Amino acid sequence: MTGQKPDADGADGENATRRGLLRAAAGATVAGAASTAGCLSVTTPADVAAQNEVSGNVGHFVGPSWLADNREDAVVLDARDAERFREERIYRARRVPFDAITARKSTDEGAVPDTDAIADAFGEIGLTPDDDVLVYGASVGSRVTRVAFALAAVGHEGAIRVLNGGLSAWNGRLGTGSRDRVSPTDYEPDPATSTWVTREWLADGAGTFNADGPGLVDVRMPEAYLAAAGSDVLNEDHDRHGHLPGAIDVHWVGNVDGRRMTDPGRLVQLYEVEGELDRSETVVVYGGDNVDPTSTWLTLKAIGFEDVRLYDGGFGEWANVQGDRGRYPVETATNVVVETDGSVGGDDGGGDFSCTG
Amino acid sequence: MTGGDGRTDAPADRVLAVPCEGDDLLALFALDTGERLGEVPVGSHPVHATTCRGRTVVATMGERSVTAVDPSGEVTRVETGVLGPSHFAVANGELYVSCSAGDALAVVDPETLTLVDRVAVGAEPHELAVASGGERLYSGSRREGVVDVVDTGSRERIGAIDAGPDARVQGVAVSSDGERGYAVDQRGARVVAFETGGDVAGDAASAGPVRAEAAVGADPYDLVATGNRVFVPGRGDGVVHEFDRELELTAVHEGFSRPVDVFEVAGDWWVLDAGAARLRSFDGAVVETPAPGLVATPVGGAGDRRLAVSHYDDDRVSLVDVDSGTVWTAESPAYPFGSVVV
Repeated sequence: MTGQKPDADGADGENATRRGLLRAAAGATVAGAASTAGCLSVTTPADVAAQNEVSGNVGHFVGPSWLADNREDAVVLDARDAERFREERIYRARRVPFDAITARKSTDEGAVPDTDAIADAFGEIGLTPDDDVLVYGASVGSRVTRVAFALAAVGHEGAIRVLNGGLSAWNGRLGTGSRDRVSPTDYEPDPATSTWVTREWLADGAGTFNADGPGLVDVRMPEAYLAAAGSDVLNEDHDRHGHLPGAIDVHWVGNVDGRRMTDPGRLVQLYEVEGELDRSETVVVYGGDNVDPTSTWLTLKAIGFEDVRLYDGGFGEWANVQGDRGRYPVETATNVVVETDGSVGGDDGGGDFSCTG
Repeated sequence: MTGGDGRTDAPADRVLAVPCEGDDLLALFALDTGERLGEVPVGSHPVHATTCRGRTVVATMGERSVTAVDPSGEVTRVETGVLGPSHFAVANGELYVSCSAGDALAVVDPETLTLVDRVAVGAEPHELAVASGGERLYSGSRREGVVDVVDTGSRERIGAIDAGPDARVQGVAVSSDGERGYAVDQRGARVVAFETGGDVAGDAASAGPVRAEAAVGADPYDLVATGNRVFVPGRGDGVVHEFDRELELTAVHEGFSRPVDVFEVAGDWWVLDAGAARLRSFDGAVVETPAPGLVATPVGGAGDRRLAVSHYDDDRVSLVDVDSGTVWTAESPAYPFGSVVV
């Protein structure tokens, strides 16, 4: 990162503001390990639910008590695969056709979300643009956040919320078996182009990111970001390895602590203090695909970043672009890696995090 | 290295401009006296400099830009868009800069000081060499083990020479007649030769294979090519290998500590040693220097027997005459590197 280092005495206003934000965010909590069951060594469903409550100034993420209080007012969307959905789900939840809501289309500017296809997918499950929505999965991984992004991308007017802790946090009524019948709707998209950026937008700004231009976060594993020779995380389908010029690396898994979101104070530490991102400026996130980076997209928005955008084409598009690759350079020798220690809970395979994560 | 313009006229008020990597400064010294004239802040990690259109242009490896300093001291940043500007070459009237932390060469208009293009090359390009006529430029890739061939007219990569499995290409040079190119594989302790001509077109696979290769001393980095000789210092073994133009070994010069570069000074060949405070010729002549030198620059044209030596680890710069010894030595900002005479 370029720019001035913080003064030793912290006298400058910018850093004082940053610390203020840190304190404010740290005051917001996700109830966690400190919450104990009433009986030693016994964890009740109520305890689990309590552990996943969200309080303070955190957007989008809500605990199970919110859902219990608002069950009749929100459409509940399940981001998991069909098998998990059939086994057990929140009563009357609708399963999102996941592949459809990751659809992209090619434009002269590069790949962008195919909002028509995404809107059709939401229409198939009976959603209307003004529905208040709650999305859940096995945890709060990137399948869940991709659904949230897809809703934002089609200009969804209703509130978009994510259930902290996933299905295991819910101790209310459950459903099982075949899906409930819903009447399809004609979901008319109102594409929110400010939620994403394109390859050409990034190419125009090459060299400015995390300097005098927008923030840029690569959410992939550090080995992919660094193009670590011989690493098995390097995608063989990519012509080139490394990252976009100026990007910092914060592996998206750091957003997740088991099945719930990482403590907001820790997230502020990761992105604002260690990553030196400015919450009042535009921040672009990208990954190898268009699923995992949505975890960072939603997380940054949840802790108060004002303008967060997704590069939907991802590094796969950038690395393999045809033609004048001098316009789309890749850096390998930068090493601004913010270490994370998160983990994604939930079951494998059909859970709610991308297989590419 | 003389200025990028290749000018050899020698006015009396010449200045030695030294990028000092540790302090992000371009330090200026009166060439003849060593008087310290001042410093210019140029950005993070300046390592090499060249002259172009009367300006001194500095490669700042810690930036996504290069810095031009005009004779009045005015500083202009030229964005490269990619981190790690490292080495310069002038071709077809434009200034090429290897962006060693990425996979591109930045092309700068030296008149307007603007980025006019970027040329995609193998990742982590390092040294550049230009064939006579300036129509083709050669860029060594440290990560991909190739020498990329760039058509400077179209500013396009038109092919690449594969230097071998796991090669890490550091030094690249072209013979003075422009017909033969050479590249140092640091990892494999090899030097390879390739044709600079030929009908290179299309992608990397279309370029010809290496013409010859030879083993050199351990940890080679740079090389020097003339019309009929090639010299490769092996830093790890303290030797300098000498070859003919087909890479037939003609001599191994031994007894150095950590040889880093070779210079022809008025007909004699001298070796700069980063592990010993001296210059030593292939004939055995020795000139003591104030400290070991990492980089040196011939300061004049034919007949001038002086080198400006950057003592990287000792924060010192010296002017050394291979006949009479040290002319002057002066303290510099931290980590002086590749100087240029302005």
